[in-house]
Amino acid sequence: MRPIAWWGGACALAILAAACQEKLASPADCPELCPGTSLTIKDTTLTALVGADSSYTGYIGYAATSALLVSDGLSAGEARIWAAFPKRPDSITVDGLAQAFTPDSVAIILTLVARDSLVHPLRLFVHRIPNGHDSTTTFQAIDTLLTPATLIDSILVPDTLKTGAVRVVLSGDAIAKLAPADGDSGRISIGIRVKGPTSTGARFSTLGSTAGGPVLISYGRVAVTDTAKQRQTLNIAADSANFVINGPPDPPADQLFVGGRGGARTLIRFFLPKSVKDSATVIRATLELTPSGPLKGLRNDPALLLLQGLLADLGPKSPPLSGATASTFIQADATVVESIDVRKIVAAWFSANPTPTALFIGLSPEGGSFSRPEFFSSRSAGFGPRLRITYALPSRPGHP
Amino acid sequence: MRRLTIVGLLLSTAGSLAAQSSQFGVRGLGLPLRPLSVRAVGAGGAFGLFDPDSGLNPASFGQTGFLTASFSTVQSWRHSVSPSGNASVQDNRFPGIVVAAPVGGTHFAIALSATGYTDRNFELASRDTLLLRGAPVETFDTLVSHGGMSDLRAALAWRQSKSVQWGVGLHLLTGSNRMISHRNFADTAYAAAAEQFTISYLGYGVSGGVVARLGSMLTLAGMVRADHRLTVERDSVPFGDTRLPLTVSGGARLQLGPRALVAGSVLFRNWSVSNADLVAQGGIGSVNTTEYDAGIEYLTDPKRGQHFPIRLGFHHATLPFPLRAGDAGSETGISFGTGRRFVGDRAGVDLALERIWRKGGAGFSERATLLTFGISVRP
Repeated sequence: MRPIAWWGGACALAILAAACQEKLASPADCPELCPGTSLTIKDTTLTALVGADSSYTGYIGYAATSALLVSDGLSAGEARIWAAFPKRPDSITVDGLAQAFTPDSVAIILTLVARDSLVHPLRLFVHRIPNGHDSTTTFQAIDTLLTPATLIDSILVPDTLKTGAVRVVLSGDAIAKLAPADGDSGRISIGIRVKGPTSTGARFSTLGSTAGGPVLISYGRVAVTDTAKQRQTLNIAADSANFVINGPPDPPADQLFVGGRGGARTLIRFFLPKSVKDSATVIRATLELTPSGPLKGLRNDPALLLLQGLLADLGPKSPPLSGATASTFIQADATVVESIDVRKIVAAWFSANPTPTALFIGLSPEGGSFSRPEFFSSRSAGFGPRLRITYALPSRPGHP
Repeated sequence: MRRLTIVGLLLSTAGSLAAQSSQFGVRGLGLPLRPLSVRAVGAGGAFGLFDPDSGLNPASFGQTGFLTASFSTVQSWRHSVSPSGNASVQDNRFPGIVVAAPVGGTHFAIALSATGYTDRNFELASRDTLLLRGAPVETFDTLVSHGGMSDLRAALAWRQSKSVQWGVGLHLLTGSNRMISHRNFADTAYAAAAEQFTISYLGYGVSGGVVARLGSMLTLAGMVRADHRLTVERDSVPFGDTRLPLTVSGGARLQLGPRALVAGSVLFRNWSVSNADLVAQGGIGSVNTTEYDAGIEYLTDPKRGQHFPIRLGFHHATLPFPLRAGDAGSETGISFGTGRRFVGDRAGVDLALERIWRKGGAGFSERATLLTFGISVRP
């Protein structure tokens, strides 16, 4: 019995000793005690390759716009909305039988996505315009149609409303303003402009968005005996809607820009010195873009400047590198240098399979924002894009 | 065949050897380790030259009559003091192994051992402030080293008579340090960075020793060991060579009646031969070292020799690798040990408890408690 107890005790002691956790850290009096220095930290600023940065447009198709823009006096552009609705049926089916439907009131509804909430009152003006608008329709073509003679009604957007539905209801004789014109197959088109006490704008949801585009709702009666079914509504969603904008012209070659109607993007290339690329670890990388003037856009409706690394440098059609992204919100009228943390993108340049030392800059929402920032390019001596890289070099500590 | 299997199994576990992580292992090749059995440790190392389970003297196992194997593990609790602050740390290391066996029908015995030569396990933490992008940024640095050098020995002992044994040993010094350096920043805009590399060592050595009993009470022992240049590589790229010292040791053991054995020994290493090479590799350098050991083993039951003996010891040694140029380091320890044999002495366990004080230059000191546990078997 005693040897067994002895062995058990010895084994328990051994297990106890072996199970003790390691805790090794000791404070060090460096550099006296440390066998070598820690990683060497250095900082360098790279300027964009001169002439190798450009802006490209046309990434967003006419129908792919992510918002409907309307504005009044914005430097980012004057914008008007148009929408077309299909023919409203003159009957409605109740209990399997078609019943004649005569509206006694009609509502026009739009969904507000964003606005400058500090500008109020904000009023929308809805006009009846001829049918037949498409991607070839110009700003002037719509704007000249928005006259007092074509005005249907106006909508005062509540001051507290930042997002959500806004509506105007027509009844009585006003319904006639939405009556189909002869020979138009019953289609109805409207144009919308906005007015505020100062320059302002608003964005509304599109056909493809979750909230949907403009909607016409007709309220009326049908001749049935069941009184609960006499009141009926008829919803007609716009089958085409878009906006036209009289945006600023493309900036000169010494400037870069992103955003706008066509979703412009900018490609910037850098040269990474071999001495840095071969052995360094990036611990911070900041892209600095100098605005060529106050950033164009709608105040209090910031846009997201989106930066991406490249899988391959194929110019304007370069495929983006997933995972290597960076972003920052930009405010309208800002004039300060935009500094964006791009460490994830730059770190990919240092990886075992390095990616092109370039990055793409775009805007989100693309094609659906008033923001159209312009920055100096590499052709603007001293003001072009700069990349500040802070990196660590191995110091090989552990001297004997 | 069965015995060879056991020997192979034991040696295969000797990856990381007995060690005592310490801030005094930062410099040079690390903290020198003593190739002692648990029994020898318990008596301050004084019996190391005479102990067949220790890897110090290749003559010490000349009297071995059976295949014996022993291994040990050590748990360390340590409190370090430096000008930067204090820290209480702990670690555990794995066995030192000695396997010895007689060569049947001859006066020879052979032994294989795997013990620690130096220990370079440490983790240093420090902080600094850098000026980055025109603003001061606080940094937190850690330097972690895992590893050290092991001493693999194959030894042959010749029993000239019942009183005199001679021995020679061939040593292979091998090992590596895995170094990991981290740098973190208080400003989270800066990402942490790290580097990692491995320093590997390879060297050879020979040793010779003798144990001679003079009369019925006194036994003398001595050994000398010469190690060749140590080849040092960093990530498989040659980094330099380091001359290794000559080791000379001598000791005496005295039987005082049937219950008490006392012993004392001295060990000298001319580590200064490594100085130039270490400095050339960016280090501080090295100095000669001397170690003094004294101990006693008292048998509580003379009829059952190793049945709870009481071992007490003391040792003092100078350290070869100063923390700062011009500093001198030393280590002083006291120890207590005991043990137990089972099943006709075919198996046994030993325990040793050490209290160690180390001191370096101004402001550097350390105290540690080491619990060493060993098992020996005779299959």
